[in-house]
Amino acid sequence: MFFQQLVNGLTLGSVYAVIAIGYTLVFGVLNIVNMAHGGIIMMGAYIGLLLVTVAGWGLFPALIGAMVGGAILGYLLEVLALRPLRGKKVTHLAPLISTIGVSIFLESAALLVFGPQTRAFPTDYNQLMDFGLFKISEIQIISMGTAVVLMVLLTLLLNKTRIGKAVRATAENIETASLLGIHTRRIITFTVMLASALGAAAGVLIALSFNAIEPTMGTSMGFKGLAVLIMGGLGNVGGAMAGGFILGVAEVFSVAYGASSFRDAVAFGLIILILFIRPQGLFAKAGKGGRP
Amino acid sequence: MEDILNGYVLQVVIFVCINIILAMTIYMTLCTGLLSLGNAGFMSLGAYTSAILTVQYNLPMPLGILAGGVVAMIVGLIIGLPTTRLRGLYLAIATLGFGEVVRVIALNLDITHGALGFSGIPSMANSLSDLAGNMGITDALSMDSQTMGSLLMCIVLIILTAVIVCFWNALEHSRIGRAFKAIKADEYAASLSGIHVVYYKMMAFLFSAFFAGVAGALYAHATFFISPTDFTWHKVVDALLYTVFGGSNVLWGSVLGASILTIVPESLRALAEYRDIIYGVMLVVLMDFRPDGILTVQTVKNLARRFHRKSAAAEKGGR
Repeated sequence: MFFQQLVNGLTLGSVYAVIAIGYTLVFGVLNIVNMAHGGIIMMGAYIGLLLVTVAGWGLFPALIGAMVGGAILGYLLEVLALRPLRGKKVTHLAPLISTIGVSIFLESAALLVFGPQTRAFPTDYNQLMDFGLFKISEIQIISMGTAVVLMVLLTLLLNKTRIGKAVRATAENIETASLLGIHTRRIITFTVMLASALGAAAGVLIALSFNAIEPTMGTSMGFKGLAVLIMGGLGNVGGAMAGGFILGVAEVFSVAYGASSFRDAVAFGLIILILFIRPQGLFAKAGKGGRP
Repeated sequence: MEDILNGYVLQVVIFVCINIILAMTIYMTLCTGLLSLGNAGFMSLGAYTSAILTVQYNLPMPLGILAGGVVAMIVGLIIGLPTTRLRGLYLAIATLGFGEVVRVIALNLDITHGALGFSGIPSMANSLSDLAGNMGITDALSMDSQTMGSLLMCIVLIILTAVIVCFWNALEHSRIGRAFKAIKADEYAASLSGIHVVYYKMMAFLFSAFFAGVAGALYAHATFFISPTDFTWHKVVDALLYTVFGGSNVLWGSVLGASILTIVPESLRALAEYRDIIYGVMLVVLMDFRPDGILTVQTVKNLARRFHRKSAAAEKGGR
């Protein structure tokens, strides 16, 4: 029982981690919380669904297709809602509101186009493998494996490549980065697109593991991502990964041991508790955190 | 007269008033630079408290509404202790989380009737019209009791809203308001000049919680039915929209924003299907072109100057 729940929690957590990374990347370079991320997650799930059902693609091509779609949405988001606000002297409210606008737009557009009903995600991978201590389904292996591969690739990208270095420099200090000859505008666009592609991939993984796609899934999943973002510390990629796993495990255990109807409150109950003790999040360095 | 006093128009006015109060609660915390998104949670607390007290304990409605505000404020104190010490987005997300937690709890408790919702809440309009009927006003004006009730409720709400707006306006021009302004401009500089930052932030947070509770209670007595889905994240987004659309740096921005954004969707009934899409696009476009909202500090100053000049000219001409 315990190991079974642990496996379930880690699987769920890996998806949460991917969602939170999307938030944290954008926060890192732009210092804003991208409220449209939930909408992009949801659109990613629908793109994946359409590619599988209508176009008849396999799961992995569809996943990549969804990521490309997410990246395009990310580009539009950056050009239409984020870039016009930069450079002007605006409050920190403005980008928040405009990304909320994008998320309202995406959610209601999806409601109009796809209808309010919940759709299932058809797959051929339904076998259950028995390891004695726990059972794991192929879907769980796929979603966890994909999430882990994405995280490893992202870590390599950020730490080993030239563009990753530029992203980190921009996140550190945008003015200094541009003085040092980094094309910061291009880096910001790249980061938003990367984050949105990850969001779309997370959407497909959620659709796969919950076997349910609906227009409102973006909001609830986006909120959990936000909780993880706070838990791990804003702008901290490693923290987001660890926070995702912690939330996944905590949620699964709270469901398994009694409080199933409180499932959606676990994430936020946890962050309120954590903020009591460590206002800067679990993994952020002291001084960079939430306390002034 | 008949056209203006029909039930539908009065209903819209009632909701304009409630939304103005709600938008004010967002503005109150923004006065100190705090973005708090827990207002739906406080609203829900106020609504359920007042509903439970008036239905199950037969408390008079004004006391129920007051109790709703007080309960929201007490919870606000508990939530505020850790969260008002947080900076910017940490606070926004922590309070957003608080709202979600309240919603899930309301969904699971027996006393709130869970997802079924709480029905049979005494209507403010009915009790006001009973009152008027007993005093013989309804007969004297030869109106039917329903319209009379709605009309009286409108008047009560307009007065209440005006009182709250005037109260906050006075507060802004007092010592406390200046402290708020200093904290908003620069927290560190404010603390260096001897302003107790956390104390004033907490004060703004508690006022906001109290009035959100009151708005929730009024909402409950205006609709007679509440369920946890009434107080979701969308409610906060609406309130935030009112404030930011109208102008988040001036008090009148919230009033204007709430009025416009409550009345316009009513007149867009025909486009109901596309309403949210239009809403979303409108927000993005507004932020692109006017990131501080319709009213800014400068426009209010200009308007005030023009108004004074006009009234001065009128006085001169009159003499």
